[in-house]
Amino acid sequence: MNTNKKRIAIMVGAGFVPGMNAVIKGAALAAGQLGWEVVGIRDGFEGLLHPKHYPEGGLLPLTPQLIENLDPSTGSVLGQSSRVDPFHVRQINADEMVEEVDQSDELLAKLKAEKIDALISVVGGQGLTILYKLHGKGLNAVCIPRAIEGDVAATLVSFGFNSALSFTIDMLDKARQAAQAARKIAVVEVLGAQAGWLALQAGIAAGADAVLIPEIPCDLQKVAARLKEKMTTRRSYGLVVVAEGAKLVDNAKAGTDKPSTLKASLSPLASGDNSSHVIQRSGHAAETVASRLQLLIAEETFPLVVGLWARGGNPTAVDRQLGLAYGAGAVQALNTGQNGVMVAFVPPAIKFVPLAEAINKVRTVPPDNEFLKTAQSLGICLGN
Amino acid sequence: MSNQSTTPSATTGIVLNIQRYCSHDGPGIRTNVFLKGCSLRCKWCGNPESIRVKPELSYDPKKCKGRECSLCLKDPFPKGAFYFTEGEEGPVKVNWDLTSGCDEALCSLCPTGALEMYGKTMTVDEVLAEVEKDASIYRSSGGGITLSGGECMLQPDFSAALLKGAHERGMNTAVETACNVPWANIEKVLPHVDTMLHDHKLTIPERHKKWTGVGNERILANFKKAYETFPNTEFIARTPLIPGVNADEEHIRAVLAFIRPHKNVIDYELLPYHRFGLGKYEYLGKVYELDDYKTPSDEVVKHLQAIIDEAFGRTGQRAPAAK
Repeated sequence: MNTNKKRIAIMVGAGFVPGMNAVIKGAALAAGQLGWEVVGIRDGFEGLLHPKHYPEGGLLPLTPQLIENLDPSTGSVLGQSSRVDPFHVRQINADEMVEEVDQSDELLAKLKAEKIDALISVVGGQGLTILYKLHGKGLNAVCIPRAIEGDVAATLVSFGFNSALSFTIDMLDKARQAAQAARKIAVVEVLGAQAGWLALQAGIAAGADAVLIPEIPCDLQKVAARLKEKMTTRRSYGLVVVAEGAKLVDNAKAGTDKPSTLKASLSPLASGDNSSHVIQRSGHAAETVASRLQLLIAEETFPLVVGLWARGGNPTAVDRQLGLAYGAGAVQALNTGQNGVMVAFVPPAIKFVPLAEAINKVRTVPPDNEFLKTAQSLGICLGN
Repeated sequence: MSNQSTTPSATTGIVLNIQRYCSHDGPGIRTNVFLKGCSLRCKWCGNPESIRVKPELSYDPKKCKGRECSLCLKDPFPKGAFYFTEGEEGPVKVNWDLTSGCDEALCSLCPTGALEMYGKTMTVDEVLAEVEKDASIYRSSGGGITLSGGECMLQPDFSAALLKGAHERGMNTAVETACNVPWANIEKVLPHVDTMLHDHKLTIPERHKKWTGVGNERILANFKKAYETFPNTEFIARTPLIPGVNADEEHIRAVLAFIRPHKNVIDYELLPYHRFGLGKYEYLGKVYELDDYKTPSDEVVKHLQAIIDEAFGRTGQRAPAAK
């Protein structure tokens, strides 16, 4: 054991993911074993940058008593911030003017003043870039990926994914029952702006007729043909699962096989697949697929959106374990002298990946993936 | 912000764009000079590239040649700022959080012009030289220069020097402002202004804060003080008309009640909300928050315009076209 006593801080980025408290608990327990002191920063970096907003203090000491009774099913004990970017903090200045200021130096100075030796950050894709920049300015940082859609590269499984998957399957089961009763085709949109892991795995588990994912541009003619084959007088319903970032091969519109995202097709002036201008609202993908399918088949279609519902709720047993493991893994990284790394779970091992290698990458479903093969062998149409 | 040097003509400011042959922002044919930096964050903003004070990167993916070029993945471009996703073709992707090191010199290395900078530092003389190209048109049309933004009052020394120089050259001068700045800034600029176009965006302070980021108490106080301190300046009130935000009688009547006691407020114009700025959000890597909002119907615009016309003692006038 490293006997060098440390004082470390934990912060949580934007967006709730089931299992967040398990991560915090895992880090605090592991640090406690080393005799380290652990504090949590409230609401992203807010607790540190603006402690006056918190009468009870912007830093929360993660004492054994607090950790012992931490409820895994509630929201993060540290709260969250919609913005975790200290390089562009929007504020109203003394002249009542709105401005964006760079508070990164102030943040680093405050961490130093609080005698924080290292920071554990639970962040998503953009947060990884921010921590990479802060690390470049001298911050000792270890990141834990928060990727409910399973799309952060370099780690195979993120905490929260299993909870979202279980919930999504549950919702798809209900949608299938509703479609069965109404003799209609349910088109259900699920999380997955960049990667189709949730849609694919949930679609397989729920027995979907078709699964549309961002990685495979979809021809709705083929989906319609498959639905026609499967629908009989004895089975007059259908279930189509659509990841929110699914793409269509829009022959009629473009005159080529160039795919366009469903969201971008509804964003005037956005340039399609590579557009940064993608409307961050759920429901468009399901509506588009349902209405276009309706033109191709006789049975009635209806859109449903699981969307953000999958981000809440209790963590599953898998995610509790993963959360604790990720938290403990981050402390292990610091204890072994790692810095500027992301904790990755590549079964059976916990690994540490340099942040420079973790950013700008998305973990998508590769063409030879076993889940794709399984879907195909089960007769699930992927629209290709 | 603007750099006040020893001679006003050498004063520098950050200019976003110089647009010739404009006809909606003051009398006659005009040249609009858009300055960088804004002290509001209106959710409907049609000029998102004007918000930040400093020059910033713009990226047009439609011009990018993709992997066959890949120049921006190498030195001297910032590491990680540009990248390709494994297995994907198409234009390069941008990690906007890592682009702060980009400047005009770097952008000039992009062979297709996909990378550009919004905004550059210019002297008063440089701007006026450009504006003076249409001096004969200003003389025949009664036009001149209009400073817009962003918020031109955020660069008061530069703006004042520009307008003073324009006056000396015989041009009509106008500014387009929201006046969310300290009074000292306005006091510097307004002595050189013939017409001030000023935005009454929302009347109720809480709603103003919700849609623009700050309350409107100081703004209204500045308007009132400007009307009274500069009686010879012409003021034209304006409202960007957005259904669901301010396209209602209540707002229009409240603005009329505010401006009508002041005789130097000569008009109140409606600017029906448009979505022309949407594409620019993409170039900046930003997301437009008002996507669900529509342009106001002709019926609504006509109805509200009739209220204004009545207040100004006019009848049968058409609503002004979108800015």
